[in-house]
Amino acid sequence: MITLLEIAERTQTGEKIEEKKWDRMFFETISSLVKKYGIACPAEHCYINRDDDMAARAYEAAIDFLEAMGIYCITTHRRVALTREEILTAIREAPTEILMGEGRDRRIWKQRRVEGQEKLNVCPGHHTPFSEDLAGLVVSNFAQIPRTDFIEGFNFSHIDGREIIGAPMEVYASRRQLNWMREGVRKAGRPGLAVVYYPINTRAEDLIGVMDPEQGLRRTDGILLSLLPDLKMEQDMLSAAIVYDEYGSFKLSGSFAIIGGFCGGIEGAIIEGIAKPIAAMIAYRDYISYTGVEHIHMLNGRQILMPHVNWGRSVVNQALNRFSHTICMRWVIPTSGPGTDLCLWEAAMQAVEAPVNGMNLYAPRHCRTTMNHGQTPVEAEWMIAVSDAVIDQGMDRQGADALLDRIAGRFEGQKPAAGFDITQCYDLVHHQPKPEYREAIDRVRAGLREMGLRLDG
Amino acid sequence: METNQFSPEDKALLDSLKEAIIALDDDRAAAIAEEVVESGIDPKLAIRYAITDAALVLGEKFDAGEYFLPHLVISGDLMDAVTKILEKNIPQSETEKKKVIVIATVQADVHSIGKNLVSTMLKSVGFEVVDIGVDVPSAAIIAKARERNADIIALSSLLTTTMPYLKEVIDDLVSMNLRDRFKVMIGGGPVTREYADRIGADGYGRDAIDAIDVAKKILSL
Repeated sequence: MITLLEIAERTQTGEKIEEKKWDRMFFETISSLVKKYGIACPAEHCYINRDDDMAARAYEAAIDFLEAMGIYCITTHRRVALTREEILTAIREAPTEILMGEGRDRRIWKQRRVEGQEKLNVCPGHHTPFSEDLAGLVVSNFAQIPRTDFIEGFNFSHIDGREIIGAPMEVYASRRQLNWMREGVRKAGRPGLAVVYYPINTRAEDLIGVMDPEQGLRRTDGILLSLLPDLKMEQDMLSAAIVYDEYGSFKLSGSFAIIGGFCGGIEGAIIEGIAKPIAAMIAYRDYISYTGVEHIHMLNGRQILMPHVNWGRSVVNQALNRFSHTICMRWVIPTSGPGTDLCLWEAAMQAVEAPVNGMNLYAPRHCRTTMNHGQTPVEAEWMIAVSDAVIDQGMDRQGADALLDRIAGRFEGQKPAAGFDITQCYDLVHHQPKPEYREAIDRVRAGLREMGLRLDG
Repeated sequence: METNQFSPEDKALLDSLKEAIIALDDDRAAAIAEEVVESGIDPKLAIRYAITDAALVLGEKFDAGEYFLPHLVISGDLMDAVTKILEKNIPQSETEKKKVIVIATVQADVHSIGKNLVSTMLKSVGFEVVDIGVDVPSAAIIAKARERNADIIALSSLLTTTMPYLKEVIDDLVSMNLRDRFKVMIGGGPVTREYADRIGADGYGRDAIDAIDVAKKILSL
């Protein structure tokens, strides 16, 4: 695979391009490939792609796209050009399994297959702000979920009672984040469980300052180093990627495409959604990515349901799982907050979708998360139960599509529900939902059973 | 706007200009704009009728998911070009001054997509938007606002740890005795209305569509 040193050199010597010109080229190139490869939404609405030729064409389009565009370095305003051979070699040489954690908490995180029958790997939480007083307790609660394979860190605005501003305070806060994570997994009785550093900022010092086998990031832990939208990279992230590549930590990337951005509509987003995790693999050695397509209206909570987004996401993940070594995760972002029926229905929808598309589960959280108001362990445990039921039932893409259609009926005329803070709907001391949330779980479970999903409990 | 101030022929010409803009057909729009100039239609009314209406339709199409960010960028450039043609016969002193917005993602934050969306949407409804990019220190934002005599400073932050830089800009404006000179609106993933109120911002935009209303409201337009 092309070396990170080679990438670093290309960020300094590649063709200089204004960002505005890159953005236009991005749209023009992707639009022409949408036409060339006939990427189009099916006439009848569906949630899961069943057209294998569509996924194959989308994959070819994405490789062409990456070859034509390369990656844009926003630090130097230069294009990192890539040859087709370099792209294909990277895809071929990337691993399909990542070892993480230590001792009896060691886990293997695997690439799944479309309609695969293995149970999903799970990162149950974080990527959302929690206050200092709750931090250790929250981590411990998520670590107590038996199926947890790793836990991601979280961001916060204050440290030791002071508002975080500037690099020195960020470095201090980053190290504290890792201290809390390590302490939380120890308290849960799982000291070897892998933790992933969630960068509270993207400066190189923040990214690298957490490396510390005793109190911070171990070689068996991971770090989130995401590409920016529109195939854009940063030198600070690349610096961290070089350091962690030698240190040994695994790396994750947020690699979904946003419909309505410079990729254009759903069709362009599918191409970007396939190209982006491959670019992240090349630029930062990210082998695990949360993948797919998202719509701005759903990310900002204006709309609960957009079936073509589910369909687009399924094309992306099916293509990546069939043709590349990208380890895919579904980042579940309900538009409704925790503690509500709607949040559970939305999470269920994505837990049905993930296994048949070949995705693992990653950190469910409210799309408009605020301090202590983004997630509880319930959503993760709920999604594990739903995805297990889908697999145990041997559900294929057609069956999942029919079930999703029935679930979608629940959203008619509904607006996203705000939800509750974690302490309002979850008992962090006894590791269980509050009675009202328990009742919501029972209601939604009963509803899913009526729809034909054989849920235990 | 009232359309009875145009003859049927003039109205048809302006409608075709509006359609060309909405269709993002730059050659056709430029050619029709030249025809409008030659026809003697009051250019100020023409701008208000064709460009403003077209911008509204473009915003609706974006909201409906029919148009995307690149379409808005293209339409912004197109409307600029058409306006320049239509303004040819207006004496400099009579040219309507657009309200100016200086927009940036604050220091230490390199995220651009939300800021780009807001920038483009504001431009599409007739603001002059000066986009000075990402990771911009407070001093540079204020200097640009002073240089361009801006009406609004619009700030974006996607990270919890860069939100304090939103406050820093407002605090710097206060300490420089410039707080009354510029309205400040803020937005971004972790930003809330409560936070905007707490740091003394004049407006908070939940998303790019909301930002248009906020900008108009704080300037009483």
